[in-house]
This record gives sequence, structure tokens and C-alpha cells, in this order.
Amino acid sequence: MSKTKKSRRDFLKAAGVTGGAVGVAAIALTSKSVKAAVPESGKSAGYRETEHVKKYYELARF
Amino acid sequence: MGSGGEEGQNEPELLSNLTEPSDGAIGKEDLQRAHVYALLARVLAEPMSEETLEIVRALEGQSDENELGSAFAALGSVAIRTPRGKAEDEYSALFYGDGARGELLPFASFYLTGFLLEKPLAKLRGDMAALGIQTSGISKDPEDHLAFLCEIMHGLITGAFNQPASLETQKKFFETHVAPWASQFFTDLEGAESAVLYMPVGTIGRLFMAIEAEAFELVA
Repeated sequence: MSKTKKSRRDFLKAAGVTGGAVGVAAIALTSKSVKAAVPESGKSAGYRETEHVKKYYELARF
Repeated sequence: MGSGGEEGQNEPELLSNLTEPSDGAIGKEDLQRAHVYALLARVLAEPMSEETLEIVRALEGQSDENELGSAFAALGSVAIRTPRGKAEDEYSALFYGDGARGELLPFASFYLTGFLLEKPLAKLRGDMAALGIQTSGISKDPEDHLAFLCEIMHGLITGAFNQPASLETQKKFFETHVAPWASQFFTDLEGAESAVLYMPVGTIGRLFMAIEAEAFELVA
């Protein structure tokens, strides 16, 4: 298993995900469209979802 | 789990195990993957701000010893020649359009079914709930916008939501929600009529999706 992980690392390295794109390290997210669903009151996502669906239909007038 | 105190110096294999996300430490390669997702999310979510442009401009002169590096370098040099207003116009033409819709609709539902707000969105919402992720409410786009999906991948890798997700979880999410259409979208972006600044973004995305797919193949 660790051999698999090692070859994956080597592959990513060879593909230029590390090394070649060093400058990318400076980039952080800013838009923050998503976040952890912290269950503040233990409520499930059900209610929110309904609200979202409603909103999206409202807004998705292309 | 809680094995952070162990040394792995003389045990490279063991060390690579210890640096897996499940142990709380993220490997260098995985951190870089997260950065690429962050970059893609940032430039897809909204027109590039002056800050984003500065970051992207700094990519100029990246090592171009491989395709991905060359694409980053290309993005940097185009960004240097692109003032903010022009970047904004291009984003609008690509994603909003004037009057009608933009050239491209970066939504999973659209790419997979031809319509917005379809089953892929419903499935995504279910999986997001299962992963403990919800929308922040800041963006008005449906969650199957590619910027959202890139943010989710970023969060799964870094643990921005809860804790770093296992490679298996990342792989499942990627293969279910990203892989089936993102490459096609990035290819479309690369060839879009209005794409100048976004042409290398398309290239980066297309190459990166292929790299991710292949790397996940190496996850048992």
C-alpha cells in the first residue's frame, strides 16, 4: 500500500504538480463558496437545501 | 491516527504512511494539488481581482520543463498584459454574456444533462451533506459550478472543512462529480472564442484533470 502511495507521489512530482508550479503555493482561496457544515443546532441540511433550491430557481434565469 | 510523535527518518516507507492526510499532515504533493484547485476555484468563481491578477502574474517565468509548468508560465505572461478591466470583460463574455448567456456554463448538470439544476446537482448536494459540507451562501450559483467543486476538492485535501479526507474519499468525490465533465469544460474554455487570459486557465485545468485522474488510479 505504501508503495502505491509512493508511486503516486512520484507520478505527481513528475507531472509537474510540484516543482514546476512553485508559485502556485502562494495562492489561497478567497471566494469561500463552501464551508464545513457545522451542525450548530444539530439540524440536518434538509431545511437549508429547500431554501437553496428556491433561491437557485429564482436566480437561475438564464 | 495519533502517531505524530514518531520519527520516520530511517523508514521511508513508514514516513510516507505517516504523511498521509489521515494523520493530519498533508504531503507536499497533496498540498500542491490543493493550491492548483484553489487557483482554479479563484479564477472560475469571479472575475480576477487586482489581487488575483497579481498572484497570477507572478506565475510568469515558472519552470516550463513540463506541460503544466508551461501552462502556468503562459497564464502569467498573458496576465501581465491584461489590465483588470479587460480581465473582467473577458470573464463576463465567457460566463455571463451580454444579454444572452455567456459562452460557457461551468455546471455539472449542464455538461452532463444539457440542463441546469438537474440530477447531478441533487446527487452533489447529497454527497456534500454526507461529507459535512454546505454552501456558505456567498455565491449565488448552484453548487455544481466548477469553482465550488474545486473548492470542495481543495477542502477535502487540506481539511478546510473538517479534517483532511482520505485519498479514497477524494477519489470518489473526484470521479463522481468532477471527472465526468471537467476535462470537457476546460477543453471548451481553452478553445472559447472570448478566451485570452482564460485560454491558459483552460490548459492548466485540462492538464491537471488528467494528472488527477491518473494519480487517483494509483490509489488502491
